[in-house]
Amino acid sequence: MKLRFFALGLMVLFAFAISTAAAQEPVTIVIGSWRVDDVDQIGTIIDAFEAEHPEINVVFDPTNPPDYNATLQTQFETGTAPDLMYLRSFATGRGLYDHGFLADLSDLNGLTESFTEASLAAWSADEVHYGVPLMAVSHGIYFNASLFAELGIEIPQTWEELLAAAQVLKDNGYDAFANASGDTWTIAEIVFMNLAPNYIGGYEGRLAYLSGERCFNDEGSVAAFQAIADLAPFFPADQAAITYYDSQQIFLQGAAGMWMGGSWDIPFFESEEPDFDWSVFAVPAPEGQEEEYVTFHLDAAVGLNAASAHPEEARLFLEWMSQPAFAESFGNLLPGFFPLNVVTPTLENAHANAFLQMNEGRGVDVRWAWDGLLAGEPNGYTLMQDNAIAVLNGELTAQQAADNLQNGLAEWFVPAQTCGS
Amino acid sequence: MKQINRTFGFKDDWQSSRRRAWILFLVPALIVYTVFMACPLLNSMVLSFYTGEGLIPDIFVGLKNYQTLFSDTIWNERFMNALGNTFIFFGIHMLVQNTMGLLFATLLSQKKLVGKNIYRTIIFMPATMSVLLTAFLWRLLLNPRWGMVKALLEAVGLGGLFSAWLGDKNTALIVVSLVSSWQWVGLPTMMFLAGFLGIPDELVEAAKVDGANAWQIWFRIKLPLLMPVISMVSILTFIGNFNAFDVVYAMMGANGAPGYSTDILGTFFYRVAVAGEHPVANADKGIGATVATLTFMILMTGVLGWLWFSRRNSQEERLA
Repeated sequence: MKLRFFALGLMVLFAFAISTAAAQEPVTIVIGSWRVDDVDQIGTIIDAFEAEHPEINVVFDPTNPPDYNATLQTQFETGTAPDLMYLRSFATGRGLYDHGFLADLSDLNGLTESFTEASLAAWSADEVHYGVPLMAVSHGIYFNASLFAELGIEIPQTWEELLAAAQVLKDNGYDAFANASGDTWTIAEIVFMNLAPNYIGGYEGRLAYLSGERCFNDEGSVAAFQAIADLAPFFPADQAAITYYDSQQIFLQGAAGMWMGGSWDIPFFESEEPDFDWSVFAVPAPEGQEEEYVTFHLDAAVGLNAASAHPEEARLFLEWMSQPAFAESFGNLLPGFFPLNVVTPTLENAHANAFLQMNEGRGVDVRWAWDGLLAGEPNGYTLMQDNAIAVLNGELTAQQAADNLQNGLAEWFVPAQTCGS
Repeated sequence: MKQINRTFGFKDDWQSSRRRAWILFLVPALIVYTVFMACPLLNSMVLSFYTGEGLIPDIFVGLKNYQTLFSDTIWNERFMNALGNTFIFFGIHMLVQNTMGLLFATLLSQKKLVGKNIYRTIIFMPATMSVLLTAFLWRLLLNPRWGMVKALLEAVGLGGLFSAWLGDKNTALIVVSLVSSWQWVGLPTMMFLAGFLGIPDELVEAAKVDGANAWQIWFRIKLPLLMPVISMVSILTFIGNFNAFDVVYAMMGANGAPGYSTDILGTFFYRVAVAGEHPVANADKGIGATVATLTFMILMTGVLGWLWFSRRNSQEERLA
């Protein structure tokens, strides 16, 4: 009996010890993410934050990208979601907000001053902002500068010049473009949606489709699919069985002059150290068109769990995130991912800078399919992807592909049903 | 000393309770099977009557998911495509994997064959490798840019025969099925071999005495005696291929590229129920459960049909 009392007393003592220890321990907030590759870099940023706020302990806890959305959804439903989490732009992030999982951040200090309306809009629902914009990825054409110099090719200023340059490369025994459709998503994201803004008129043009003012098979859309047909002869032989990784290697081995790609590949290309100089240029507009556009895709924001146990501390982190100093260190630690602060930071990485320079004098817009076109079946992404590949393989004409896009979206997307009238 | 009376809870005498004791031996397996197999299966069937976003669909819709799958143009096209591809996938396995297995087993069962163990190891080796590994290996071999198959064909002057099979809608599924057959051919080989070795020598010798040649012995004596093994292998192939997912996922991705031509029930189910279609990534668990239930029904029909057939056959044999 005595022993039992003793044990009880010990337990009480322990409980006290634990609770007093907890009082001294800093508050821990967890950030969920799909960026498993960025653990070290985000760690550096978190260290800087913790140095300023020793009372807060921040943990970066990323999930394998393909599982992220499903995992996060499950975490929310079972009440185990992190305090802060990366949000994908448009429909996917919006879905979480509509379920009531995300807190309203509209009143966050400095939010509207630090980010443009267009950036905030990707994570907004009826005037409510639920995400602090974190990063964008850019798209353009990687080119082998050494090879261009050797063959006397200038950086193309128009679409016609681009095709002429491609012809020169092809005539000299090189693949003009290393792109291929073995991984279908690449045709959608880094080829079709990379070049589309020039043909549909960027942000304003895209909104005209979304409002039903334009139909998805109008001349702009047909021209975008026609551009794919223009490129088809310049892709590698047997491109249908060449994967994303193969494409990268074809370019890195110097067998191809150009590669339509995204800024996220900068670190990989640099680590491969190809034995030639490379840089990027923007997809040029057709001759005679003055306005040019770059696909500068809003990729991620950070949202706040509506049920977080430490909303004060989490908000403090979000406010810290919207400062220019954060943008500067983020942009430099992760070349190829561009912070969205209105104050564009100076980037040390030359290739990342080359991407950022493309935005000068050009309109920027997100990938066409993301805003509004993913919310039903068949979704705009799959339609653009499948039909662009069919054009690439010569199975469909540009007009047929655009008609398929229009008819597919008209199945559920109301503006597409009433468009043009 | 007190006598321990093991009656297993039955009030009868020791003899009759011993006869009933077998029930107790079933209990552990029954519990495990019920908890881990039967309940989730039934739960999945129940789930197919619900819809809703997220972890557990909670809006009851009756048979609407089935209706969507069979009458909605987009859903039906994808589902029927996946179903058809699964049958082709299964057919090629039956035709290639099991026929080759039978051939290999026949050769390996030859008494005078030298290096039997080496051949057996080589044939069985791929089955011990990870599917991810074989998929990657074959993608590399068949790569139109730097693949070995192309180089090999060109070296012997047959370069014209090569084409990018994995990028072609008409050939991709066949190639994936062949890769899978290549990997698993060792399993039917071993089962057929065991079957061949189990055939009593007296029968073969008696046939020889009667003047039968090697072909007649194989076709008239050995093959009929191997029938139970053949039907067993067939049903295992059927179950394995209708549940297949890994080889297509590893070689062609979850979308069954190119143009859904390698999309089978497994990958279709994965996209619908687990991952969602990139980049939307909103899975529809209700319809996913519907696909799973339909797959189960196809499997059950096949297996029950086989059971009925094989039982009838064995009864006929007994009567004969």
